[in-house]
Amino acid sequence: MEKKIAVYICTGCGIGDALDIDALSKVASKEFKANICKTDAFLCGKSGIDLIKQDIDGEGVNTVVVAGCSSRVNTDVFNFGPDKIVERVNLREQVIWCHPGEDEDTQMLAEDYLRMSLAKLKNLNLPEPFIGENLSSTVLVVGGGFTGLTAALESARAGYKTVLVEKEAELGGYVGKMYKQVPMKPPFTDLEENSIPALIKAVEDAGVKVYTSAVIAKTAGGPGMFDVTINQNGTDVEERVGSIVLATGAKPYEPEKLGHLGFGQYKNVITQLMFEEMVAAGKMDANKVAFIQCAGSRDQEHLPYCSAACCIESIKQALYVKEKNPEANVYVYYKDIRSNGQYEHFYKKAQQAGVIFIKGDITDISESDGQLTIEADDHTMGTKSVADEFDLVVLANGMVPTAALGETVEEAPAEDEAAAASDEPKVTVAPIIKSNLLNLEYRQGPELPALKYGFPDSHYICFPYETRRTGIYAAGVVRAPMDMLSAAEDATGAALKAIQCIESTLKGEAVHPRSGDMSFPEFNMNRCTQCKRCTEECPFGAINEDEKANPLPNPTRCRRCGTCMGACPERIISFKNYSVPMIGNMVKAIEVPEEADEKPRILIFACENDAIPALDMAGINRLQYNPWVRIIPVRCLGSLNLVWINDAMAKGFDGVLLMGCKHGDDYQCHFMKGSELAEIRLSKISETLNRLGLESERVRATTVNIMDYDKIPAMLDEFAAELEEFGPNPMKDFQ
Amino acid sequence: MEQTTKLPESVKYDLTFAREIYSLENGSYIKQCMQCGMCAISCATRDIMDYSPRRLFNLIKLGKKDEVLKSNTFWYCTSCCTCKARCPRGIPLVDVMHDLKRYAIKNGYVDYPQAAFCKAFWAEVAGRGKVFEGGVTARFYLIRGLDEVLKAMEMKDIGINMLKRGRLPMFPPKKIKGMGNLKKIIRKAQEIQRKEEAR
Repeated sequence: MEKKIAVYICTGCGIGDALDIDALSKVASKEFKANICKTDAFLCGKSGIDLIKQDIDGEGVNTVVVAGCSSRVNTDVFNFGPDKIVERVNLREQVIWCHPGEDEDTQMLAEDYLRMSLAKLKNLNLPEPFIGENLSSTVLVVGGGFTGLTAALESARAGYKTVLVEKEAELGGYVGKMYKQVPMKPPFTDLEENSIPALIKAVEDAGVKVYTSAVIAKTAGGPGMFDVTINQNGTDVEERVGSIVLATGAKPYEPEKLGHLGFGQYKNVITQLMFEEMVAAGKMDANKVAFIQCAGSRDQEHLPYCSAACCIESIKQALYVKEKNPEANVYVYYKDIRSNGQYEHFYKKAQQAGVIFIKGDITDISESDGQLTIEADDHTMGTKSVADEFDLVVLANGMVPTAALGETVEEAPAEDEAAAASDEPKVTVAPIIKSNLLNLEYRQGPELPALKYGFPDSHYICFPYETRRTGIYAAGVVRAPMDMLSAAEDATGAALKAIQCIESTLKGEAVHPRSGDMSFPEFNMNRCTQCKRCTEECPFGAINEDEKANPLPNPTRCRRCGTCMGACPERIISFKNYSVPMIGNMVKAIEVPEEADEKPRILIFACENDAIPALDMAGINRLQYNPWVRIIPVRCLGSLNLVWINDAMAKGFDGVLLMGCKHGDDYQCHFMKGSELAEIRLSKISETLNRLGLESERVRATTVNIMDYDKIPAMLDEFAAELEEFGPNPMKDFQ
Repeated sequence: MEQTTKLPESVKYDLTFAREIYSLENGSYIKQCMQCGMCAISCATRDIMDYSPRRLFNLIKLGKKDEVLKSNTFWYCTSCCTCKARCPRGIPLVDVMHDLKRYAIKNGYVDYPQAAFCKAFWAEVAGRGKVFEGGVTARFYLIRGLDEVLKAMEMKDIGINMLKRGRLPMFPPKKIKGMGNLKKIIRKAQEIQRKEEAR
């Protein structure tokens, strides 16, 4: 596409007063020979938009550069259709709102930002969406328990063909075995009939294709084109599906490991599930029952996490006893009653019914004549307590996600032993547990990577349901411990995400977090050295390898973060609208004053997800910061290619700062590992810098949270002060 | 804060006493206490109580009749209602404390002077329709016994000064008009209370 570039400089919001607009226009029209350069006092208003539209219609402008506010605002206003490139220069939030007006340095900053945007256009093209062949709109739900049935029902009712696969011969799962279920509707105090039979009927009526006694033998392909082999009673059936909801649920924690609570020792010590089946069979006639909470949960020797549902289930079971005999004595020994949300009413109901709650740790359980005695430390009173003559003791034995059952896939030992032995920082790899649920044909392992304790979650704050495999959504207790109310919500949410994935894939768009992004990585295979960095580092397993060990991209699995682009030492991976040369041009377009001018320059690569919003917020709050900085937004720090740092250093920048998200156990990176990868790459560049005679401390990484905006001025000043000690970059003179 | 009263080393759960307390007018509310401690930190007289309201409720749950009824907790409740206003479970603690006072008196736990005062005050109001300080004082000491009367004589100077300055009336005031109606009101209230207890 031959670009016809028009630059529009907005003088509203104080930009016109703070900057020399004529000088700015000259940058566009003289330096960069833009076809059109106009100014307007209110560009996002009707007259401003009309001005742009007139040029588009009359002059054939197809590339619009808007110099004004941040690209985070007015996105709908400055949208001129999918065939027009719109580039935004942030003169407001990142220039005049955080730097003094009518100032030489501020003017230089604004001019540099305009240069950067215009230089960026050289290598920027309209993305062409990747549309896969033979795309499917079917949703596959794995697991036919409460969550799976709900998800299947929701997706079928939304009009999508749905396939349900259940391992057992009957649908229903764990909840299906229950006598009654916890309240699901206001006032959240009454036991409800088991909803599974009605749910199964609804699923069948909605036309869901159900495979029972079936497992997934193989899952190949990607979103829109998953080829799933379902093994039903020994015969294989092929299904092509668009997206997958994983709702395989959890298993009760093995009670055999709870010998210290008397399980296996005394026959009247049973588990929640055994009690449930006992009541459902009408065989429960105990009149004094104790429930022991956190039997195995929140215990470093067993399950370190809270299983979330047991408190409510025990309250429900306590009410079974009270329902049968209101005079029965029911005790609940607990650490904390965690009856979240509306279930607080249910807890109160049990108290009113006369269930005794004792906050305490069990110290001993003993038996005589079939009756049990419990000794405990009563924490609310600070004493020891003894209660005897229990007919039954029920252990709330927690739950283990089905995704955690299996062997952890060990990473193949590093080929280079010496490299492995050295102290070089290594990327943490999320464990993949071979749980035999999906059997994925992904280079990086057969199942979903686990976040913690084997739960295949990815980012529970920003993107629940979203796993680290695009198009596969975990829901219910396999994703995180939860009660039934949350599981119902989870099932609905995951079904909706599955549908969203199908629709986006049909249009060739990214699903998330860059929803609607049509670009995808392209590989210049001629120059590939098969180093495998892209296939290894892709956080989403989007790149497999073919027989010749060449990278084999699966564009529908891609989330467009550019981690592969940053990883490639040969720089053969690029997006239509995001590439190594594009950012390189931006770096080169910045004017670095000579040493004698005493105007240092600091280059900042800032993550678009958290650091850029934080920088914008600093501007919105009128926090003044260092004028030597030049900020380049990147999709993710994972896309940082080291050549940019070389470019910057060769150009004469005094320092480079990477602003990314927090990494580690409680990472905040939208692409899981981006900032961590960037720091590891950075650790490897120090050698190069030293060779150039530069201090490696000139380049460093920092983590910025969106709420850290108030710390940004200090952060930049500190870095500038440290750079001052090193003196100016000696490369300035070689320009 | 130092706990003023020693708790038993080990507790066993006996629900007979708890059931009796739960059957008081506001007793069943105790069941819904979740031991959060909001009452304890809200209480103005917590420092001089044996047990905070939270602990007292737990003792009731545990069936510790003697500990509960011999404690000074409810006698030191000033009915300021802060705890009642703040209780997240909506327990009317002040009313529960009143019930406990009555229950303690009924069961002969009257060692605290507050118990005698409670009785004296009530007899005065019920018999006259208003309070006569001299009457309350006289009744109080009659209930408390000779030893207390002798001790009270040490305060006679204050009493005489108060009399001189007209702060303490010498003679009882007249009964209110419509004493009969007041009695009817009280009877009605007691009837309602009994109904509540039977509920």
